[in-house]
Amino acid sequence: MSVHYGDPQVAIGVVFAVLALLLGGVFLAIGLQARSDVPDERVHRVGYWLRKRWLAVLLVIGVVVVGVSLLDLPFASGSNHGRAVVRVTGGQFFWSLAPNKVEAGTPIRFDVSSIDVNHGFGLYDPHGHLIGSVQAMPGYHNNLDLTLNEVGVYRIRCLEFCGLSHSIMESSFTVAPAR
Amino acid sequence: MKGIVAPASAVVHPRAVVFTQRASAIERRVGLLFAATGVALIGVMGVLGLIMRLTQANVLGVSPAWFYRLMTLHGAGMITGALLAMMGALWYVLHPSVPLRPGRMLVAYALTVTGVLAVVIATLVGGFAAGWTFLPPLPFHPAGQWSVWSESLFFVGNLLVGASFCVFCVDVLEQTTGTYGGLARALGWHYLRGREEKAPPPQAIAATVIAIDGLISCAVGSTILVGLLGRTYDSTVGFDALVAKNLVYFFGHSIANLSIYLGAAAIYVLVPRYAGRPYEASKVFVAGWMGSLVFIATAYSHHLYMDFVQPAWADIISAIASYGALLPVAVITIYSMTMLIWGSRYHWTLASTLLYIGFTGWAIGGVGAVIDSLIPINFRLHNTTWVVAHFHTYLILTVVVWALAFLAHLLERDANRTSTRRVRTWTVSLILVGGYGLTGTWFVEGTLGVPRRYAIQPPGTSNYSLVGAVFAFLFAAGFLAFVIQLVPMVRAARSRRYHLVERVDGWTGTHYQHRESVVSEESQPSHTALLARQGVPLASPTQLGLGVVACVISLAAFFPQIVNASEVSNRYHHLDHAGQFFTGALLGVLLGSQPAISRRLGDHSSIGLAVVLVAPTVMMLVMVPRFYEPLEPHPLEHALYHLAMAGCGLATGVGATRLGLVTGRLMFVLSIGMPLMFAAAMK
Repeated sequence: MSVHYGDPQVAIGVVFAVLALLLGGVFLAIGLQARSDVPDERVHRVGYWLRKRWLAVLLVIGVVVVGVSLLDLPFASGSNHGRAVVRVTGGQFFWSLAPNKVEAGTPIRFDVSSIDVNHGFGLYDPHGHLIGSVQAMPGYHNNLDLTLNEVGVYRIRCLEFCGLSHSIMESSFTVAPAR
Repeated sequence: MKGIVAPASAVVHPRAVVFTQRASAIERRVGLLFAATGVALIGVMGVLGLIMRLTQANVLGVSPAWFYRLMTLHGAGMITGALLAMMGALWYVLHPSVPLRPGRMLVAYALTVTGVLAVVIATLVGGFAAGWTFLPPLPFHPAGQWSVWSESLFFVGNLLVGASFCVFCVDVLEQTTGTYGGLARALGWHYLRGREEKAPPPQAIAATVIAIDGLISCAVGSTILVGLLGRTYDSTVGFDALVAKNLVYFFGHSIANLSIYLGAAAIYVLVPRYAGRPYEASKVFVAGWMGSLVFIATAYSHHLYMDFVQPAWADIISAIASYGALLPVAVITIYSMTMLIWGSRYHWTLASTLLYIGFTGWAIGGVGAVIDSLIPINFRLHNTTWVVAHFHTYLILTVVVWALAFLAHLLERDANRTSTRRVRTWTVSLILVGGYGLTGTWFVEGTLGVPRRYAIQPPGTSNYSLVGAVFAFLFAAGFLAFVIQLVPMVRAARSRRYHLVERVDGWTGTHYQHRESVVSEESQPSHTALLARQGVPLASPTQLGLGVVACVISLAAFFPQIVNASEVSNRYHHLDHAGQFFTGALLGVLLGSQPAISRRLGDHSSIGLAVVLVAPTVMMLVMVPRFYEPLEPHPLEHALYHLAMAGCGLATGVGATRLGLVTGRLMFVLSIGMPLMFAAAMK
């Protein structure tokens, strides 16, 4: 598992790190300033003026960020017509994929379920970067639609704690060159 | 110990003397009991966490079997320790204005301690290792690692901890609504709508919200735990994995979340003592806590984003609620407290410094949580160590730090001493560097896609664990330094509380020194510690009339099932039982609310609470095929069994009427919701 700068996760990590440092800086500044003596009425005047704007900023960020996030939901929708259906079954402590090989660029529907307990179908690309995950639940089928363009061996790890050998519950999935 | 603590002219801000009451003896004792036990539990569970991190770093060779035992105990124990300390903190700050009952708090303490012991035995002796989230049906697929008795003991332990929190919440809700004249007033709604000039104190509004959400989560948690317990003695019981998962995460998420909100309610009282500025509830404050009431109960579904069969509307509500939960925290609690501190000549002591750094953990961990609560991002971070990182940030660097702060506050005030600036700076620096370093490594691993809960780390990632373990050692050093500083404070507090008196033994004539309590200057709460009774759930003739109508309808609806006792599936059967329980409960509330009967029953709130906790539990414990299937060929016995279901409901309904108007109604609604949830989750 290595850093791949094109991964969305890295961008997420950087955004978080910047926000965390910013917050840390704000708290440090407030902590240092707490020794001074500012009249209460000034604190109230400035503080409440700022608070309204702070709320407005957070509301705008919330509407934009949550709104945009709802436009990109990973849930599969519609029929599986035109898609290669890969049936994924999780069990303590194995993965079964049928078929376990597709051609690059083929639209795939992963039909994920479990025969015993909850598992997590975590799909890692040939470089070891996490593409995404979906839960494998007993009695239910979770469908994940993906198109894998990169040729190679993809690794599957369990991403839901499932017992003693959870950390070695792995399998692989091959994407072959398109004919 | 010289040089560790220094006398302070006053541990609180000079301006705060005007609005800071001296703690009464009972407030101090309850606070110390809960804070000390909570911090001790946190310390022990922290050591388990360190062992796990060292195992992932390949420094220790703990086997996966033991790793997961420790992981299960660490999670359950840490949440319980945090909850215990924060319950004590809220009780301490609320008791001066609301007549909370010490007896109830002692019952809650005993239940928690017994529950923790049960969980310790179940995990360390019985080998139970399904995680503190015990996601069904994992507890019943042990892969040869644990036996049935350890499953049962673990569930009983969790039930006892849940019951403890329930006892606490019922007392808080009964007393806040009793003291301030109803739910709307206790929540500050009358003030918000301009009908009253003054709102209840901030801690009372927050406590009322916490109690309501706490009771809802306890009802949900008890339902799934009783269902799991039933499965231990009836292997034919099945689970609907999706419904069960919803119940588990509603319970787990809410309880973990509420431990922070309990702390938030306490800091409304504690921070002003060091800032020298009083804090009162405003209309924005009341509105914010109304938001929290809703968001705490609706955000949990973000744990199920990757269960694509979960209805999309639930995910969308959760995405909005998860972000919405940030607003009251960022705009009211943290913002208002920093406003209080800004330019206040803040009185820096060990406690006040820890209180302040707790805000950073909530803010930074909260940002990490909000990022993870966006569905497309969750797709890429779900169950990676990012999750571990964000919740450890606000649990270690907020709740644990506030637990330490609360304990330090109690002892500083008792001893009138605090740590020297140098020692304090070192302690807090170790906690901050260690804490953020530890969670930082998890954040980095999360972006790399490293899965959580791995006893054996994926190849090439164990070095992150090693770095994390080094930071964990630094945090542990800070924790230890904190504990060492408490020792001289405890001694100083004792010497201030007692003085030695020279006495002569009447028999032998020898002189000896007797330790005598100094006459206390402690204030007594302004209230008399009695329940301000708030009537019965069905108070008016119209309500009673509606109760009668509802009772007749439900009797008519469920009478055929009671007589014929026939059913087509377990779920239908359980739904039938829920209906019978509902009918009985409705009848119980109706009877218990009758003025003549209510007078005869008397004001037995504690008995009412016990019945409300026990009767639905018993009903669900016998609601498994093992008990009712042998009765099916015998109509009379089967009908009697169904009548017993209604009888449990009757007892619950009558019990609820002893809890007053608001709490009684809530407990009634929750008790009829429990068998309905049970019917949905078990099959």
